Amino acid sequence: MDLEKSIMSLADARGVSGDETNAAELALSMLKDYTDDCFIKNGNVIGHFGCKGAKPHILIDAHIDQIGFTVTHITDDGFLKISGCGGIDRRLLLAQPVTVLDKKPLDGVICAIPPHLETDESKVPEMEDICVDVGLTKVSAEEFISLGDKIVFASHCAKLQGDRITGAALDDRCGVASILRALELVKNKPLHGEITVMFSTQEEVGERGAKIGAFDIEPDIAIAVDVSFALTSGDSEVKCGAMGRGCMIGFSPVLDRELSQTFKAMAENRGLPYQIEVMSGTTGTNADRFSVNKHGVKAVTLSIPLKYMHTPVEVISLSDVENTAQLIAAYITEVSA
Amino acid sequence: MTVELLEKLCMLNGASGDENRVRDFILSEISGYCEYRVDPLGNIIAEKKGKSASSKKVMISAHMDEVGMIVTSVKSDGTLTVSPVGGIDPRVAIGRPVFVGDSDIYGVIGAKAVHNLSADEKKTAPKFDALYIDIGAEDKAAAEKLVSLGDFVHFLSEFIHFGDDFIKGKAIDDRFGCAVMIDLIKSELPYDCTFTFVVQEEVGLRGSQTAAYRVAPDFAIVLEATTAADIPLASGEKRCCELGRGAVVSYMDRSTIYDKELYGISRDIALKNGIKWQTKTMVAGGNDSGAIHISRGGVRTIAISAPCRYLHSPSCVVKLSDLEDCEKLAGLMFEKMCTM
Repeated sequence: MDLEKSIMSLADARGVSGDETNAAELALSMLKDYTDDCFIKNGNVIGHFGCKGAKPHILIDAHIDQIGFTVTHITDDGFLKISGCGGIDRRLLLAQPVTVLDKKPLDGVICAIPPHLETDESKVPEMEDICVDVGLTKVSAEEFISLGDKIVFASHCAKLQGDRITGAALDDRCGVASILRALELVKNKPLHGEITVMFSTQEEVGERGAKIGAFDIEPDIAIAVDVSFALTSGDSEVKCGAMGRGCMIGFSPVLDRELSQTFKAMAENRGLPYQIEVMSGTTGTNADRFSVNKHGVKAVTLSIPLKYMHTPVEVISLSDVENTAQLIAAYITEVSA
Repeated sequence: MTVELLEKLCMLNGASGDENRVRDFILSEISGYCEYRVDPLGNIIAEKKGKSASSKKVMISAHMDEVGMIVTSVKSDGTLTVSPVGGIDPRVAIGRPVFVGDSDIYGVIGAKAVHNLSADEKKTAPKFDALYIDIGAEDKAAAEKLVSLGDFVHFLSEFIHFGDDFIKGKAIDDRFGCAVMIDLIKSELPYDCTFTFVVQEEVGLRGSQTAAYRVAPDFAIVLEATTAADIPLASGEKRCCELGRGAVVSYMDRSTIYDKELYGISRDIALKNGIKWQTKTMVAGGNDSGAIHISRGGVRTIAISAPCRYLHSPSCVVKLSDLEDCEKLAGLMFEKMCTM
């Protein structure tokens, strides 16, 4: 597996919360390289490994959805009114190229506001003032576009200097890629425990895919692989990790402290770079759902540092994805051997 | 006008003061079809022979430059600060991919994660001096190996066809005008004509000033792209002009009060020849006409513009039929001027 290519193809796939099929099918096809026992259920991509029924049953998860928009109205002159799916930064919407996802994807542009209409360039538009220009009349727009269709930023992954990659849906497709890479690392090793991999839906709107997925899977231990903030200009060093310094292991009241310590010790023993991410309550990741699944699950977060989260130009370092994969593989090997 | 030619022109990077690549391409296109020279500022002045000489000297002009940015410092974390070159709303720069410098180093204009913004920050778009470019350099030293202060920065934007014959791309302002002029130079013209592909329009109509001085025309046609605000946020006169309604000819903008007779003639010619013609419903914007019409002892000038949404953003939007109307009208206006 070429990690860089996998990340870029996954992040260029489309899967707004609630409409993850395109990205999920790609992830499923990649998962098939490591197990035949994999499928999509209620939107979640699920793959089984190791011995069924063996304890502990470990769930390794990354979310497959990305932020985006949904069409709520078509105006009389054929423009689309939209609503956000997930956390949208309205400061950067004007003149962004977008793709309306239907059977046939349509290109469009979010309307910018010309200076004669608004002289205050520091004003952030309200969502209700945002329109998408698809270059169609109302009649044609209605022929191609249905209310509820999803919209994504029309952005492609690209390589930056060093091992850094930019793209729109690296949150959390780089997490998906790190799990696939971990599966490759343990490919020929006998696994005595039970391991379930899940690429879950609707994280960005409240970790909903994780909730229904975990209910079926009933894990004993759950690892949520997601992204977290890498330090950028103007950020607080306290809140952020550093890009290129390895996986961020979560410590939080809602996470299992022993599990966090296990990952920390494992990283140290194996000489893998890592960082500690301290959160004082819920984590804003799927781990929040996993830990309270049924009668309770020991959960931990492993986060890949990412800059400019939820913009069309998120940035990650390939080495952080690889190091996260190494850590996951090490854990699988240790508890399953 | 061929859209393929427009696409090639738009995909070239040429902010004001950095027009080399656009100029080289245009020269390769027009070479063999006309005589030309490049003046000290970098303007191309092309003399095209027609079937006959004209008693009046007519100059057709478009600008090669586009809005962009320029690197002003390299920060300790390896990111770059920039200043805008020409008028750019910082809200259309944040969160975009860009190319830095002559070797097109890929970079992104980052934004603090929305999760970490205070309530005030969420409501206030950053000014240009708060924006920075991340090329993936680990620190200042790594960035300085690749980037120098004064390097130009260009938006990266795909040229796409969408909707009902619409086009989206960067720099349609004013590569559209350049494309029309290349077409005219390659065609057979009834009269001699001087074409000027000028620099530095976006930073104050500077190239056109020296070009018009050298050419000393009697008449000038400026080919441009002008702001259309036919979007749901604007109604009535605030829409300025609209896509699909044809060539835009202004009576007045912020830089020029146009020749009244030429304005009327353009409308009559359009009407007679089935060309869609519209004017602007606001006195807004400006173009090289501002420098050309007061060149030397004065030049009778008209501007023919393609209506363009989201001007000066990486996502300019125009409609093909309007581009065709502009080209047709420009050709007929040129012939008319030659016999006036």
